[in-house]
Amino acid sequence: MDGDMNTRSTPGRWFAAPVAVFMMLCFAAPILIVTWYSLMPSRTFGLTGDLTLENYRSAFTDGYGRPLMWSLMGAATTTVVTAILAWPTAVILHRYAGKWASVTSALIALPIFISESVRLFGMSVFLMPRGGILAGTLNAVFGIQIGSIMNTWAAAQFGMIYIHLPFMLFPLLLGISLIPADRIEAARDLGANRWQSFREIELPLAAPGLMIGALLTFVLCLGANAEAAILGGRAVTVITAAIEQRFNYAQDWPMGAALTVIVIAVTALIVLPVLSRLDLNKLTGR
Amino acid sequence: MILSLASLSKTFGTTKAVDDVSLTIPEGEFLTIVGPSGSGKSTLVRLLAGLETPSGGDLFLREARITDTPANKRPTAMVFQSLALFDHRSVGQNIEFAMKMKGVPALARRARAMELLQLVRLPAEYYSRSVTQCSGGERQRVALARAFASDPEILFFDEPLSAIDYRLRKTLEVELKELHQRTGRTFVYITHSLEEAMVMSDRIAIMQDGRIIQTGTPAQIYGAPANRFVASFMGEVNILTVENKGDGQAAFVEIGQPIAKPGGAYAMVRPEALAQGAGDISAQLTVTQRLMLGSRTQVHLSSETGAILISEIPGTAPDLLIGSTHSFSFATQDIAWMET
Repeated sequence: MDGDMNTRSTPGRWFAAPVAVFMMLCFAAPILIVTWYSLMPSRTFGLTGDLTLENYRSAFTDGYGRPLMWSLMGAATTTVVTAILAWPTAVILHRYAGKWASVTSALIALPIFISESVRLFGMSVFLMPRGGILAGTLNAVFGIQIGSIMNTWAAAQFGMIYIHLPFMLFPLLLGISLIPADRIEAARDLGANRWQSFREIELPLAAPGLMIGALLTFVLCLGANAEAAILGGRAVTVITAAIEQRFNYAQDWPMGAALTVIVIAVTALIVLPVLSRLDLNKLTGR
Repeated sequence: MILSLASLSKTFGTTKAVDDVSLTIPEGEFLTIVGPSGSGKSTLVRLLAGLETPSGGDLFLREARITDTPANKRPTAMVFQSLALFDHRSVGQNIEFAMKMKGVPALARRARAMELLQLVRLPAEYYSRSVTQCSGGERQRVALARAFASDPEILFFDEPLSAIDYRLRKTLEVELKELHQRTGRTFVYITHSLEEAMVMSDRIAIMQDGRIIQTGTPAQIYGAPANRFVASFMGEVNILTVENKGDGQAAFVEIGQPIAKPGGAYAMVRPEALAQGAGDISAQLTVTQRLMLGSRTQVHLSSETGAILISEIPGTAPDLLIGSTHSFSFATQDIAWMET
């Protein structure tokens, strides 16, 4: 009888089992294997060598700091720029677009369904020097000759902003919708100017959406590779490219694993404090 | 005059929410604007607070034109129907908001917030409490204190008590009236309840379809409603129609009784004025329903023409049983005459 009661009162455990098994196999296990690999001697392929921290030492001394900084800076810049672009867009969509809001949102979301590489190659055709769509049109129609940012750091950064804007916009739209219009009116009525109303009322109330957007954008950008490869023309090496090189060309799995662990650790250090402050119930309206 | 409205109008699309409203509000008055939902009263107060831009007309604060002055530059404060408290801030931060916007130093803000907590009868320890922890009545008080903190010349209230239970509403009505008397500020209050307006106001303005159709003291409006809309808005009253039969002859349609000198096309008779026994105008009426109202009894009475009249009698009225017929009457001096 007692046992029966117990199983009845905890059905959640059974319902959670499929996801739990999936997470163990596809999330926890690979991280464990990669972590273990990172402690193996350089350029070995076995998991039975002597444990060593040599790979981590090289990670900090052999010039991997630069790619990591590029990735962190790129992710941070993208997060800030997309937030600045997405805020007014979200406000307009939520408050003023009316019936056009869903159409506009759909148009913004549409590119997500097209492969990122395809979009980036499309953008590279647009940005190409001389015969590219932008430079060519300006030359043919207005007689203006311009250079191109193709194959530079700026192009890679531009591509990251272009690709990740929707990931900021949609959570932020949700965040903006959490601001009741009467709170802004009350703030204005009590003497707040537009900036004060934004800082004191709108920003804090939309913060859950903004935080989720920022986390998504930041984490995705930290793992982004294609923008630097396709638009940046490897003018900059991002950390993911460095890791890929270790695993592929260099055939140095332990070194690649050590870099991976460092990226995971840095991501966790940045993401977890933010995530712990986030009240997801607020976003789902409970 | 602290506030003057000159032909103020607001149009949304093709609907005239506020239609050519002119009104002057003297300093220190408690003015209540009463109307049913959709009468434009909320839009009117939002125009006064600067939360809406008028489509026409002008607004003056002590002779200074403020028609185009935005809400944050007007020396007025509003208590919203939803209260619009900042849930992400503490009680103290809510109250201090207006002072913070003006750049008042933190210590001075805190001292003033403490005074305001006392003014609205909240304990000092509420200062650091979250507004989400406050009860409905406490939230009302926080909203009130927050509006007072901006030291406004005029306070606007947009039906703040409409979502509150009866007992608490009664308490807060009295407190609001006392607060008005103590602070001497000008209050402009919006409500759909004439009863609420009667309790608190110096003067009442009644609004219908975007227009103000009557203004006056509670006693004036109670005693002489401008038309049947105002009369019926006051609650259950008897409205009788006068039919002119020519040759100076007239009669009440509903009860078939002649009336020698009608003062208007319609007569309002309060339920308490329609009593048992003989009087100026009397009729034989049959009881169709009786309702106990505590200190008095309400009876629904059917006339020979089938019209239903309402009478309220002190006590339990034991003889007025359903189905019994009695003689009822009212005095001509108790009639309020109306043309429309």
